[in-house]
Amino acid sequence: MAKNVLLVDDSSTMRKIVSRSLRQAGLDFGEIYEAGDGLEALAMLEKESIDIVLSDINMPNMNGIEFLREKANRPAIKDIPVFMISTETGDDIIGEAKSLGAIGALKKPFTPDKVNEVLGPIM
Amino acid sequence: MDNIFEINDKIIESTIEIFTGMVMMEISVAGDPLTTLGPLENSITGMVGLAGVHKGVLAVHFPKQVALDVTGSFLGMEVDDINADVQDAIGEIANMLGGNLKTILSDRGKDIMLSLPSTISGDQYSFTSQAEVDQVILPFQTPSGIFYVEVELER
Repeated sequence: MAKNVLLVDDSSTMRKIVSRSLRQAGLDFGEIYEAGDGLEALAMLEKESIDIVLSDINMPNMNGIEFLREKANRPAIKDIPVFMISTETGDDIIGEAKSLGAIGALKKPFTPDKVNEVLGPIM
Repeated sequence: MDNIFEINDKIIESTIEIFTGMVMMEISVAGDPLTTLGPLENSITGMVGLAGVHKGVLAVHFPKQVALDVTGSFLGMEVDDINADVQDAIGEIANMLGGNLKTILSDRGKDIMLSLPSTISGDQYSFTSQAEVDQVILPFQTPSGIFYVEVELER
């Protein structure tokens, strides 16, 4: 069954690019929801039926690491998988994201082929 | 890193990768690196700051028409003036370049912090640093004109 995706990024440009890349990669997905930071993402997860989250790290109000930490404390949404898409790919930061439950990371910039390669297996 | 010019090649590679892979625009290096840039006219600048073991700023300076064409290609739509879409797209290009610069300077990630991107635009403005910095400015050619990637790192 096609998965509903939540894109979390403060850049509307990047949300459009990720959305376009998912389509160009030929991945099977359902609805695409969008949030501009971690706070909006938490609210969206509690309101909509979302199967996977693709999240930036460097965001205002609540960044991607804080979002993972807060989500882990909310039983209703804690098991929804989160994949990081960010310019932040240092070992320390990605290690912290994975320790908080992130299932993987994709570095910006990326191509549709890379999106397919990395996200295909989990979509 | 003993000399800012040592990272030139990596910044060039990173800029071309972003434009080819994500902006969907072919660009090329437009001459030798510069050490100063005069007042910017009818332009938009996207920038991110670096703090931590390396302090400084990465900026991308686009003449208006180049910024409009870059944004149009990035988003796959017509853009005819500097608006929120252009500011966001130019900021995101600076953000990706800043992320790559951070990786060039430190592969661990936590010893350098990256600010959120911001943009400025106007009929005429100058981009200068108050601090003692090493500075490099790399020119790139697009189909509609030249833009500049500037890196300033505190000594």
